[in-house]
Amino acid sequence: MLSCRELVNHADRLLEDDLSFSARIAIKFHLLLCRHCRRYVKQLRRLVAAIPFMHNKATDEEVHKIMDCIHSHRNL
Amino acid sequence: METDKLEQLRSGDPVLFAELVRDHHRALIALTVPIVGISEAEEVVQNAWLKAYQAIGSFAGKSAIRTWLGSIAINEAKMQRRQRKRELLFSDHGDENQNTEDGLAQRFTERGHWQHPPAHWHTDSPESLLTGEQLAECLERLLAAMPDNQRCILEMRDASGLSFEEICNALTVSASNARVLLHRARTQLFKLVDHYEETGEC
Ligand SMILES: [Zn+2]
Repeated sequence: MLSCRELVNHADRLLEDDLSFSARIAIKFHLLLCRHCRRYVKQLRRLVAAIPFMHNKATDEEVHKIMDCIHSHRNL
Repeated sequence: METDKLEQLRSGDPVLFAELVRDHHRALIALTVPIVGISEAEEVVQNAWLKAYQAIGSFAGKSAIRTWLGSIAINEAKMQRRQRKRELLFSDHGDENQNTEDGLAQRFTERGHWQHPPAHWHTDSPESLLTGEQLAECLERLLAAMPDNQRCILEMRDASGLSFEEICNALTVSASNARVLLHRARTQLFKLVDHYEETGEC
């Protein structure tokens, strides 16, 4: 059977749904039996979903600079 | 994005567009720094915003807006690099010593079972998982210390949702190397959040 360590190494492809049929079956079977790996996959999914929100918002100054640049080009 | 808002944005509403700038500007900067360097990233991203504004009417809403903006920024960065005949800063090797530490390795038994399994994470929403005040600081430190090539792939793939094809094309890295780098970067973030959720510290 697939070990937990191997499952962790396949998890990225699992999230992308980019696995061969046999690899997918092996992983699903492991997940059925292993709550630690179920938690790992669930939380990895959550982490990946959170990454697009990890940057700070731009400051007013930064936003104004971009918008000023856009306005000056629009009026050309 | 709701249809009404998307329509309004497509018609060039400057207030909505300024909101886009506020939400995505920093991510676009992070995306282009590895390609053109920190001193030129700002100019490149400014040009990308200009192009995005001119093209916003054609944004179909099929991909995430971040991904659409990210592609524009990457193209702008590639163009800039070609014009200035600059070397790419990105390199897909050079962090071999990172391998020895191998992410979650210490958390498994010799036979590959979990010895120290993941903690239960309480934070649920994607908007708040990484933005808790204390964690955000630690995350910033972690990203600053992360090998450039790992951070670069993380920004492109996970923060902006670019395809591996686009990534390989922009960076001349193989898809398999890009995947390895992404896995390492994600693992570092996973460990950080896991430790924070478990102990309240990072
Ligand atoms: Zn397992």
